[in-house]
Amino acid sequence: MNLDEFWSRLRGVFRRNRPDPDFDDEIASHLEFAKADAIRRGLSEAEAERLAAIQFGSTTAARERVWEQRRLPWIDTLLRDAQYAARGMRRNPGFTLVTLGTLSIGIGLCSVIYSTLMWVVLRPVPGIPEPERLAVIDRPVPYSSFEAYRESNNTSWSAAAFLGPVPITLGDDRATGLLVSPEYFTTLAVQPLLGRFFDPVQEQKGTPASVVLTEHFWRTRLRSDPQAIGRTLRINGRTLSIVGVAQRDFYGAGAVAFSVPDLFLPATANPSPAPELRDGFENRPSFQVLLRLATGVTIAGVESQLDAETRRLHHSGENKGRLIRLFPAGSLIPLPPEGRALFVLFYGVLMFAVLGLTCANLGGLLLARGAARVPEFAIRLSIGADRRRLVRQLLTESALLAVAGGAGGLLCAHAIFAILRSIQTLSNPVLDSFTRGPDLQAAGFSFAIAIVAAAGFGLLPALAVTRLDLTAAMKPGRIPGLPRYRPFGLRNFFVVGQVAAAMMLVLVMGFVVVGTQYGPRTDPGFDTAPVSFFSLDPARDGLAPAESAELLGRLPERLRRIPGVVIASLADRPPLDNTYPTTPVSVPGGGSHGVVLQSAGPAYFSALDARILRGVDFQQREMTSGPRSAGIVPAAINQTAASELFGSQDPLGLRIQHDGHEYQVAAVVRYAPRAMLMGRPIATVFVPLDTHAAASGITVVLRWRASVDMAAVRRAVADLDSRLTVFQPNTLTAAVADLESKASKAAALYTPIGLFGLVLACLGLAGVTAQTVQRRKKEIGIRTAMGARRSQVLRLVMGESAAMVLVGSAIGYAAATAFARALSAVASPVAQLIAPVASNWALTAGVPSLLIALAIASCYLPARRSAGIDPLNALREE
Amino acid sequence: MPQNEKLDLLQGTLDLLVLRTLDAMGPQHGYGIARRIEHSSGDQVLLNQGTIYASLVRLQQRKWISAEWGVSGNNRRAKFYSITRSGKKRLAAETSYWQRLTAVIGRVLAPSEGGDR
Repeated sequence: MNLDEFWSRLRGVFRRNRPDPDFDDEIASHLEFAKADAIRRGLSEAEAERLAAIQFGSTTAARERVWEQRRLPWIDTLLRDAQYAARGMRRNPGFTLVTLGTLSIGIGLCSVIYSTLMWVVLRPVPGIPEPERLAVIDRPVPYSSFEAYRESNNTSWSAAAFLGPVPITLGDDRATGLLVSPEYFTTLAVQPLLGRFFDPVQEQKGTPASVVLTEHFWRTRLRSDPQAIGRTLRINGRTLSIVGVAQRDFYGAGAVAFSVPDLFLPATANPSPAPELRDGFENRPSFQVLLRLATGVTIAGVESQLDAETRRLHHSGENKGRLIRLFPAGSLIPLPPEGRALFVLFYGVLMFAVLGLTCANLGGLLLARGAARVPEFAIRLSIGADRRRLVRQLLTESALLAVAGGAGGLLCAHAIFAILRSIQTLSNPVLDSFTRGPDLQAAGFSFAIAIVAAAGFGLLPALAVTRLDLTAAMKPGRIPGLPRYRPFGLRNFFVVGQVAAAMMLVLVMGFVVVGTQYGPRTDPGFDTAPVSFFSLDPARDGLAPAESAELLGRLPERLRRIPGVVIASLADRPPLDNTYPTTPVSVPGGGSHGVVLQSAGPAYFSALDARILRGVDFQQREMTSGPRSAGIVPAAINQTAASELFGSQDPLGLRIQHDGHEYQVAAVVRYAPRAMLMGRPIATVFVPLDTHAAASGITVVLRWRASVDMAAVRRAVADLDSRLTVFQPNTLTAAVADLESKASKAAALYTPIGLFGLVLACLGLAGVTAQTVQRRKKEIGIRTAMGARRSQVLRLVMGESAAMVLVGSAIGYAAATAFARALSAVASPVAQLIAPVASNWALTAGVPSLLIALAIASCYLPARRSAGIDPLNALREE
Repeated sequence: MPQNEKLDLLQGTLDLLVLRTLDAMGPQHGYGIARRIEHSSGDQVLLNQGTIYASLVRLQQRKWISAEWGVSGNNRRAKFYSITRSGKKRLAAETSYWQRLTAVIGRVLAPSEGGDR
């Protein structure tokens, strides 16, 4: 069949039942010619007509052949099957609703999981050509080392360095910047949209700073001003001119996903507008090094070249071991290969569980429905359909379901993304591109999954229910076609699989949901009502370090003079800001623990009304500005930190070490905010504030007598120094409300996932138990006739289901535990999320018990019917 | 095989015969094509004339022939088929293929002279 013929026949398919008058005319004319011919040869009229008809052969056969030639028989069959399937779906709206709902949610979840995986692990960093050739050195190095790497080899790689993203003060607003070496843009091989990028000639060391903007910044803040080049911006208290605008979607390389830069500043400028690049920065290891590898150069090869260079730099004689490791930097979030593998495994397992659960459930449902349709199949088989034809019919029905489910799944995925969007803590163009919803690829993936699922849940039942003993199937009065009871049969396999997958899903989601429900909703440990806070960043407002320290020293006292202010205190970050990662600290003889390390000034705890349970508050003299002199510094810890670091020991006076400093616990405070979704308060260690080192500014916390007066605060700050910018003002009540609304939305997302698993498992069990009762009707009848009591019959039926529930639960539990353990082995955010809750016994024991109880209850209803079986009726049916 | 029994057409050869007939005779209606095939084969070919129409539909779908209603010499309405340019090309290709095939088959089936037995 060539293409022309195919199209022509395909068109024919859709001209379905139209008669072909043209061909009837043609046959008539053919017969006329034949008859005339025969008459010419001397035959009688009647003889001629007969001969013409004989020569032509059967007109019906000819018509049929032409008909078949005009269309595609397999599409005809498919359309007929689909029509038949659609009719069947309309006839059983309940069944259709349940299966479609199940499939939609299942596919929706898979699509979200897939999008996440693609985004986190596999998506290339946007806006950069050939991202697969980028690599990043695993740790920050001093600028001088970067220069050595850059000069050492010009054939295997080109190198660029960047620092950041760092906060930038922009007029009285905040932005995010990246401090880059002049060859940054050429190394990434990107082109400017407007103006020029930095280059090694114009951005030589010591030249004045200029600025390159991202397209997003230019579009949103400068309203796509075409005359932007040459205009100036007030950055960190200095006036810099704009030299270029980057292409759309370019945000630099490296881990930019969670902190997207708005602008780029040259690291070589002098004087530098960035406080990060002052006094002796060249020798501080603060720069990330990006390499673009030449074609044919391997990461391992470059690593050993860099090692040699590093040894030369440090005049190190030893010649063993790897010093420098490189990560591929072409993906949105640079990960070492083993980290990548782990992410793929995690999401793969999750997807497998969801898909497996969905398929097992639908498989069970279709099997049950197929069993009810056995008489229909038996009739079709006996009037000549072959088994292949019936299997094809059933698969078409599954495929129809799958296509509808795929569409439903996409809708479901969009809904999930809408929730994600509303609980997203960070908002930036890169993250927003993720939460905008599944892309075309993910949509394609959803449909592929749907088709695979259809094959998965459709094929086995189709094969099972069409394997029929015709004579038995057609006998009246019995449930035909149900195979002998087999303990390891397909049905039971589906059920055990379902229970296992549901258990796993419910456990994992249960941790998340329970953690969320009891998370920030509980008392954060302090009274939130009349507390406000705002941030300052004197370094970026252009104040010298000494000036800034002096100013911050006077600030609380000045603010306390505002009418209505009761307490004013300083800290290094806004209260309840849980976007900071944990830091490892160690206790002598106790190993290393991850805690949130934050610093605070005197009266911070009373400003928040966080009660000091034991010990004393920080004192003014403990605050420092500049490097801390040796000696012991006090620390305050919350109760979680006390129990995590010291167990049941009295923590007062004990030591904590971090980064070469030693702290002594001077106070235990009642401070219990929880991280997003976490089940218990975060272990927090407070150390006295170092007003010099606060890298991204200082937060001022004010407790008021009654109402908050921000205008008075701004006046007071301006009064202290007119250069200061007050940013991110907020009240504690608003911050708590925001956190809570995010938490409840997260619960709104995860609760249905957990419930989805639970409901599916219960439905599946109930269905299978109902079938078991039907299948063993006669046996039960005999038992009842022989004198078995109701309870004995019930036990017989329930025993089987309970066994399946227990086996499934055990498998699911083991899988969930193994999964949680595998995750905790790597410190991913997911592990941090699961780990604290996974050790919560109420959950790990409670959730399975609940599931088992529910599952057994859902068998009970159909099982009860078994007790009502009338032995006379059951036995008569033969 | 008795000599007087008619020959069954091989799969696909009817299309070739129809193309050849149209190429040789110009536009022709269904009956004319069928008669011509029977006649030029010396009435050796077994042909239910009705079978020719499926072949005509197929050749039209492949755009090797085209069809048009018209009036015959003795004033009868009939659908006339004519070969197209791509049909001619196809005919040439098919003919040479057929000739090669029959030559090869003929060689293989030829009675061997002083052969293995």
